[in-house]
Amino acid sequence: MSFFLQIAASGIATGAIYGLIAVGYSLTFTTTKVLNFALGMWVMLGGMITYSLVVQHHVPALIVLPLVMAALFLLGVVAERFTVLPFLRAGSDVWVMTTLGVGLLMIDFAEIIWGRSPTPVPSFLGNRPVVIGPLSLLPQQIFIIAVACVVFVALDYFYRRTLTGKAFRAVAHSGEVSSLMGINTRWVQRTSYAAAAALAGLAGFMVVPLTLAEPQLGTVLGLKAFAIAIIAGLGAPRGILICGLVYGALEALISGYLYTGVRDILGFSLMILALFLKPEGIFGKPIEERA
Amino acid sequence: MIHRRAGLGLIVIAASFTTWATASAQDIKIGYSGALSGPASFTGLDIRRGAEMAIEEINAKGGVKGRKLELISRDDEHNPVRTVAQYRELVEREKVVAMLGATNSASMLAVTPIVNDTLKVPVICPATDATAITENDAAKAKKDNYLFRIGMYGTGQANFMVDTMVKKFGHTKVGLLNWTGGWGVTGRGELQRRLKENGLAPVGDETFDSNDPDMTPQIIKLKNAGAESILNYGLVRENTFVVQTKVKLSDETPYVSAWGVAGPSFWKAAGTAAEGVLTSTTITIDGPQSPERMALIEAYRKRYKQEMDAPTSVFGAYDSVYLFKLVMERDGTEPAKIRAGLENVPEFKGLIKHFKRPVFTREQHNAIREEDMIIGRWTNGKLLEVKYDDKGPYVDIDEKTKKYIDKKNLKLM
Repeated sequence: MSFFLQIAASGIATGAIYGLIAVGYSLTFTTTKVLNFALGMWVMLGGMITYSLVVQHHVPALIVLPLVMAALFLLGVVAERFTVLPFLRAGSDVWVMTTLGVGLLMIDFAEIIWGRSPTPVPSFLGNRPVVIGPLSLLPQQIFIIAVACVVFVALDYFYRRTLTGKAFRAVAHSGEVSSLMGINTRWVQRTSYAAAAALAGLAGFMVVPLTLAEPQLGTVLGLKAFAIAIIAGLGAPRGILICGLVYGALEALISGYLYTGVRDILGFSLMILALFLKPEGIFGKPIEERA
Repeated sequence: MIHRRAGLGLIVIAASFTTWATASAQDIKIGYSGALSGPASFTGLDIRRGAEMAIEEINAKGGVKGRKLELISRDDEHNPVRTVAQYRELVEREKVVAMLGATNSASMLAVTPIVNDTLKVPVICPATDATAITENDAAKAKKDNYLFRIGMYGTGQANFMVDTMVKKFGHTKVGLLNWTGGWGVTGRGELQRRLKENGLAPVGDETFDSNDPDMTPQIIKLKNAGAESILNYGLVRENTFVVQTKVKLSDETPYVSAWGVAGPSFWKAAGTAAEGVLTSTTITIDGPQSPERMALIEAYRKRYKQEMDAPTSVFGAYDSVYLFKLVMERDGTEPAKIRAGLENVPEFKGLIKHFKRPVFTREQHNAIREEDMIIGRWTNGKLLEVKYDDKGPYVDIDEKTKKYIDKKNLKLM
């Protein structure tokens, strides 16, 4: 039993990161039907900036966190303006390519700026494992799970209780009608894109002490997060967190009880199966098309 | 007038090119194709630097019978397709008479048949360890084999790792934890084979892929299986995750890795989590060293303004160039003669080691054999050679301090 708990707990920490990135896909998709396919690379950028500030410039981690999120938010605003908006206006789907292109550029620039070799980033919470009963977790892992939960509760509150959040949901429902109701649709689109980028930055900040800082860091993370967003349903933020945590735990349990080699095979097969059975995602609501 | 001057200028330029061309035709060219950019470049650059330093020393002392050595290097980006093309170009166009091996085992496996069948230029490999590079088709058919190696090789390294833990440390419950990438797969097979030859089976046989930042399931399974030591083939990144997970789980099972973590980059990435990790290798530059080795370490530091990233590559390439020199002075500079000559070096005072037996023979193209390999212990940022006496394994912290190693958890006593 302790074996089960220990690996499930470690997996849940990884899953919390998946969930945080996955909700970024949902943020932009619900408002504009746009997906930032390169979100994994944005995570990497957040991680590399964290590395740069914490390790190279000795800035305290708690100051680094808002800096990273702000930087990625601003970059998100710029990226949205030049690589998404022009195509949205033209009614074209080219943003699929341009968002990816931005991500590939980020990898190249990161390699030029920081080099390709993986470098460690110390956790600001230290490296002494916390032992809770049969569990042994790094403080950073506990921190990640806690932050993910806070983010999701806040997001839930925002969507359901605040006026701005309701405006977001209205735009998600119908951009044109919301526009007629006096909602600044353009602002909502831009903000959701930038907020997704900032969340990716948060994920990057939290994940580098567990992985290592390197330009290839986000690629697989982004892909798995995308799978989770699809399994849960792109329009269901709460479901995404649950799916992320479950997926992370499941991955670890497959490695633990079966074999590492089959982990991704089972994971991605699960995604295909979930889509086959429920195309709108496990937690998604079917989209009603009105005649 | 202007035309005339331009014409004159051209003649002067053309003339200077001819003199330059004839001058360089007298130089002896040694070729090298390896990763000079990308993630493997830390090894690739160090091969080139080791060769450069040897060549400069030799040229400063008058070269090989008055002729200067010249290194012609190419960046294959760790890509076998490029390596093959560059081998052709270096041999056919540049007319190199000898080569230093690449950074990628796959690259060397790709060029091996071409080198033996058509290019026929001797190659000494300092960094690539796939067994089949030297034990190739030509060797099996008892034809002239142009591939030599002065580094770890697959079969020998696995034998050495298993035998060290079983015989020197007395561990019979051995667990395996290997990378699912190319090198890890062959390594895992070799480790399984050697355990079987010792009458043992692995108590656990785990793997990980490059994207596993957390190795909790694998480590717990090996611990629960009662592993007394864990043997591994993997690179710096994944091994960093392994040792970090071990620290998190307070797991003290001895961890032994092949030479993927034998360079300073491992300590840089893993930090104190790497303390106590054992790794098999050809050479370590930490701890007490001979004056000859110190001289090269100092020269490297002075010239490249940094510490060596891959000491095995620097020293391997350096010794390779001196082996070529020795043979060329004795047998001439024809590739076929150099090849035959390498099989006939009865003694060689290299920096990796002083070979008091033939470095290579017709049948044995691996200079470093199992008995020449060493195990290093990561100790406070340094990779110290593990030595043995009646009381057991120990490391020399410095000239005066000797610390014994606890066989159970590899801690210093």
